[in-house]
Amino acid sequence: MLWVATALQAGVPGAAPLPELLVERRLAESVPLAVGDTVRVRALADTAAPRPFVVAGVFEREADPNRIARNDYEVRFHLPDLEALLPTRDRVDRFAVVLAPGADADSAARWIESVAFGTRAYGSAALAERTSATFAVVSRFHDAIGIVTILASAIFLLCVMVIRVDERRRDMGVLRLIGVSRSTVFRAIVLEAIAIAVVGSAAGAGLGIVVARIVNAHYARVYDTTLRFALVTPRIVLLAALLGLALGAVAGALAAWRVVRVAPQKLGER
Amino acid sequence: MIVSAFLRGLFRRGGRTALALAGIAVSAALLLDMTMLASGLTGSFGQLLGVSGYGLRVTPRGSLPFDSEAGIAAGDDVGRRIAAVPGVRAVAPVLGAQFYLARGDSAGEPLFTSGVDPRSQFLYRIVDGREPGPGEVAVSEPLARAERLRVGDTIRLAAELDVSLGRARQTRAYRVSGVADFLYDYADQRSIAMPIAEVQRATGRPGEVSLFGVAAAEGVDGDSLADRITAAVPEVSTYSTRELMAEMDRRLLYFQQLATILGSIALVVTALLVSTIITIGVRERFGEIATLRAMGVARGRVLLAVVVEGLVLAGIGCLVGLPLGLWMAGRLDRILLGFPGIPAKMTFFAWEPGRVLLAMGIVIAVGALAGLLPGWNATHTPLGRALREEAE
Repeated sequence: MLWVATALQAGVPGAAPLPELLVERRLAESVPLAVGDTVRVRALADTAAPRPFVVAGVFEREADPNRIARNDYEVRFHLPDLEALLPTRDRVDRFAVVLAPGADADSAARWIESVAFGTRAYGSAALAERTSATFAVVSRFHDAIGIVTILASAIFLLCVMVIRVDERRRDMGVLRLIGVSRSTVFRAIVLEAIAIAVVGSAAGAGLGIVVARIVNAHYARVYDTTLRFALVTPRIVLLAALLGLALGAVAGALAAWRVVRVAPQKLGER
Repeated sequence: MIVSAFLRGLFRRGGRTALALAGIAVSAALLLDMTMLASGLTGSFGQLLGVSGYGLRVTPRGSLPFDSEAGIAAGDDVGRRIAAVPGVRAVAPVLGAQFYLARGDSAGEPLFTSGVDPRSQFLYRIVDGREPGPGEVAVSEPLARAERLRVGDTIRLAAELDVSLGRARQTRAYRVSGVADFLYDYADQRSIAMPIAEVQRATGRPGEVSLFGVAAAEGVDGDSLADRITAAVPEVSTYSTRELMAEMDRRLLYFQQLATILGSIALVVTALLVSTIITIGVRERFGEIATLRAMGVARGRVLLAVVVEGLVLAGIGCLVGLPLGLWMAGRLDRILLGFPGIPAKMTFFAWEPGRVLLAMGIVIAVGALAGLLPGWNATHTPLGRALREEAE
C-alpha cells in the first residue's frame, strides 16, 4: 500500500517533532532502519512530496498464513497520519468492535448491518471461516494427496506381503501337512503383516517428525516467518498408526487367504 | 529367447505382477501430476496474459495489477506517452471499481466493474451482442445467467451506497450491449464492463486509470519494451509477461516445492516397488539363472533379461499411470481452482508433452535401474554357490 523511501535524514534540532511510525523487523533489517531514524514516506503513485516520519519502534508481524504468499513489508502509523498520506479522507477499511459482556455477537452483527447500510459485520469465528477459504482449499488438496499416498502404501504393503508369503509357500505347505490348522497359518501371516505395518508406522512417524522439522526450518528461512508449515501432532501420529495397523491387517488377510485356500500338497508346487 | 522367458515368468506370477503394476501406476500418476503442477499455473497464467495480445501491464509505480487501490492520475496523458514509446502497438486502459446492481430502492451484491476503451481492451471477448458504448454495459456470462439478462435489457447500477439512507445512491440505467466471456474472472464471478469515462464519472475519479495493457509490435521483445516504457514514464511500473510469471512463481513457491517433494517420493516408491519385485523374482529363479550360466549363457544376456523385466514393469505401470494421472489431475485441479480469486480459465496442471515424457522416462529408467542390482548379484554369485543354494 505504501511506498517507503529509503532516503534517511537526520532530525533537525529545535523543529516540531516529526510524526512517528513503527516498522516491521524484516523491513528494518532489509533497509536497514533503526529506532530514531527518519524515513520519508508517500502513498503509491501520489505526486505529493514524501513526508518525514521518525521510526519509533520495530515490531515483529504476527504469523498470519493469509499473508504469507505476498509477504509484503508492513509499517504502522497513527490513523490521522496515515489518512493525511492518502487521497481519500475519513475512510476506514474495517472496525474491530468489543462487545459488552453477555452480548450476542450474531445479533450485534445484524444490528450493525441494519444501521450501517452496505457494511458486513462478522463474529470472530465467522470471520476466521471466511478468511480461511485459501487454507480450506489447501487442506482439501492435502487430503486428496493423502488418499493417493495411502492407496500407494496399501498396494506396496500388500505387494510385500504377497511376495513374502509366496516365498514361503513350501514352508506353509509343510506346516499344514504336519497338522497346523488353516486358521493358525492365517493368523500367523496376519500378525506378521501387522508387525511389519507397526514397525513401518513407527519408522514413518519418526521420519515424519524429522521431515516436518526440515520443512519448517526451510520455509522459516524462505519466508522469514515463525509460521509452521508442517505439524506432527499426537492425533496425526495416532491416525497414521491406526491406518497402518488396518492396512497391515487387510494386506495380511489378503495375502494369507491366497495361501490357506490352496490344498497343502499343492503349496510345494512351483 | 532368455528375455522373453523372463518376461513370461513375470506374467506367470499374475497376481503379484498386477499388484506391482498397480503400485507403479499410482506412483507414476502422482509423479505425472506433480510434474504438471510444478509449472502448470505459471504456464497457464502466462498463456492467459498473452491470449489477447496485450502481454505487458503498466501499473502505478511499485504495485502489481489490482494489488492495491492506487491509480494512475492523468491516465489519458500517461496513455499517450506510453503509446509514443517505440515498439508499442496498442495501449488499453482499465479502471477497476465496484458497482451495485440496484433493485428498486435496495442494492444487490457488488459487481466487479471494469472501465475499458471498447476499441482497445483485453479483459473479455463478446460472445453475444457488441462492445458497450456510452450508457451501455457488457455483462459476464454468470451475471447474465443469474439475472436472466439479454442483449437489449436495461439494468440499474449504483457506484455508491448511501449508508445513512440504507439504499443505493444515484442509480443510473444502462443498456446491456453484449454478453461477454471475461478472461480473468474466477468461476461464477459477476462482472460488468463499460466505457472507462463512465466509470471515472460515476466513481468521481476523473482521468484515473488502474492499469494499462500494452501490446508490443511484432518482433519487439517484451522485457526491453517494458524497460523503455518505465524510462519514458517514470511514475509507472511496467511488467512483461515474463516478470508477471516470475512474480506468480514467487507466490506459488509452496506448491512448486510440494510438487518436487511429492514427485521425489513417488519416484522412490516406484524404485522400491520395482526393485522388490525384481529382487524376489530373481531370488526365486536363482537356480534357473545358475543353470543357464552353467550351460554357457553369457552373464550379459541374463543381466539384460533382468533389466528388461524391470523396464517392462515400469513401462506398463506408466501406461496405466498416464490416464490415471490425467484423471487425478482433473480432480485435483477442481479442488485447487477453489482458491479465491484464481481465474477459472487457468489450470494448475498443464499438459506439456516434453515434461510428461521426461517424467515417464524417469519412471521407466528407475524401473530398469532397480532391476540392475538384483540382476548383477544373480549373475556374479559364484556358480557353485548358486547351484548349491538352489539344491538346498
